[in-house]
Amino acid sequence: MFQNRAEALALALPAAVFAAMVFLLPVAILLSEGFRLEGAWTLSAYGDFFSGTLNRTVFIRTFKLGLEVTAVSAVIGYAAAFVIVNLPPKGKGRMIGLITLPLMISPVARTYAWIVILGRTGIVNKVVTGMGFSGEPLRLLFTETAVFIGLLQLFLPLMILSLVSALENMPKDAIPAARVLGANWFQVFWKVILPLTREGLVVGGTLVFTGSLTAYITPAVLGGSKVLMLETLLYQQVSVANNFVSASVIAFMLIVMSFAANILLKRLATARNKR
Amino acid sequence: MKTSLIASAALLALVPFGVMAQERTLTVSVYAFAQDDFKTLVYDPFEQQCGCKLVVETGNSVERLAKLEANKTNPVVDMAVVSMADALSASRKGLIDKIDTAKLTNFDKLYDLAKDPNSDGMSVGYTFYATSIAYRSDKMKIESWADLLKPEYVGHVAFPNVTTNQGPPALYMLGLALGKDTADLKGPIEAVGEKKDDIVTFYEKSSQLVQLMQQEEIWAAPIGRFSWAGFTKLDVPVAWATPKEGQTGGMNVMVVTKGAKNQDLALQFMDFWLSTDIQTKLAEKLIDSPANKDVKVSEAAANNLTYGEDTAKSLKLIPSAAALDNRDAWLKEWNAKVGQ
Repeated sequence: MFQNRAEALALALPAAVFAAMVFLLPVAILLSEGFRLEGAWTLSAYGDFFSGTLNRTVFIRTFKLGLEVTAVSAVIGYAAAFVIVNLPPKGKGRMIGLITLPLMISPVARTYAWIVILGRTGIVNKVVTGMGFSGEPLRLLFTETAVFIGLLQLFLPLMILSLVSALENMPKDAIPAARVLGANWFQVFWKVILPLTREGLVVGGTLVFTGSLTAYITPAVLGGSKVLMLETLLYQQVSVANNFVSASVIAFMLIVMSFAANILLKRLATARNKR
Repeated sequence: MKTSLIASAALLALVPFGVMAQERTLTVSVYAFAQDDFKTLVYDPFEQQCGCKLVVETGNSVERLAKLEANKTNPVVDMAVVSMADALSASRKGLIDKIDTAKLTNFDKLYDLAKDPNSDGMSVGYTFYATSIAYRSDKMKIESWADLLKPEYVGHVAFPNVTTNQGPPALYMLGLALGKDTADLKGPIEAVGEKKDDIVTFYEKSSQLVQLMQQEEIWAAPIGRFSWAGFTKLDVPVAWATPKEGQTGGMNVMVVTKGAKNQDLALQFMDFWLSTDIQTKLAEKLIDSPANKDVKVSEAAANNLTYGEDTAKSLKLIPSAAALDNRDAWLKEWNAKVGQ
């Protein structure tokens, strides 16, 4: 398309400069706050952050919830994607439409809907008390469970769509061939489906994990300050404590965790493919 | 002919000044809340009166103060409205100037607590609010702030997070009720911490509470009077408590930026905002409770506002210095006892 590499680079330069000015530079300035104290470069802000019990608890909770949401969405995602790819074209289109529909609705609206569903007088508690599982309505809101459910609902469509795409690219006769050769369904999944769809799992897993780490509204509304997560703690540090150093430390950790998840998942996929 | 020429020349000579007057721009920094109403009731009428242009910057207090600090050497904003504590913070950082109250014709009409809230001459209160407890009167009876922590009630209570404007005042009153009245709020924070698993939530936004009350998720919550109107529209009985320890609250104030280019115009705008006419209009719309004691509002509006001299005198406000000096310690203590 281009006559030479230099021409292509020259054409890309304005966009690259623009991106560097409006994205990379502000992020670099923000992140540098966490490494500078009274004009000197230091890691003391990171030491201070991890010396606090609350901060460590919040860090572990955020990481754990991110992993849990990713793992559960992968399990549900595979089941849903497998059903979808085996539907006739019309049904497949409808199902894809239904899965993408929530993505068009604001996360705020979707999160507030859970307040109604999980409340003392909500559907879940009506079922629980109506069927006699509990005499008293359960307290579901403002718990880690509520945040988990909210995040799962928020990001599950991304995992399903990634896996549908991966399953569709899989050779059609791979599963019947494995079955004919005597593999049970677990072996089919583990030895055939998983290796052939690993790229989709990497994409879906990265999107769900980083989304769960960085979502603000859902943990803030469904968990509140009883279930502080890194991003709600970051908001607190900026908007209330005016502590930009601590906020910078948290932002840096969120970025590192997101990149690390992506690299780790890619490595796993590559390692498996090499075998 | 000669007279006409002189008159024309004089008129032409005045034109540049006329243009300059037209081009005068006042930049104000305000809360983002109810800006459509403020535009209709305050900004547009003022522009017409002064023949100037008003530039309005909005945001929360922390963001706007950070911007004032960043532009300290070359101020952009002429006048800002902030909380009492933030005004003291700005004063300590040398970001604001003394207010020449002689130029405020409406100054004497203010309630005493609004005239010089921080006792440093750097701010003037334009609205204040009471903070008390909204509660389901068919489920419970609130006579003291300590009732919130009673075993039979605490599982139905939402308490403001210490990071909100309502948090420290509510803790302060709880401290009074528990006999643990110190500026570090250690006593009430510890008491709340002991019940943290029972308390339904530590809310960040009061707008959440109406829905939680509607869903019977909560029966009671300390709130600012400005949030009260939403509760009165619920189809369940909700009452405004008058605890024996009294009510607390907060005040928002006006400040003039140090080195602002249009200080006189800023004072003119402040005076306009403090006038009986404008304060009445803002009160009738339930936007701000009036700091001007001459304001008379309908009974319906009065029921939804922090209104009247007796109320103004009865409020137990946390002194700004105590709030500023203890803010970090409060957050640290809260995070240690309640946040984890």
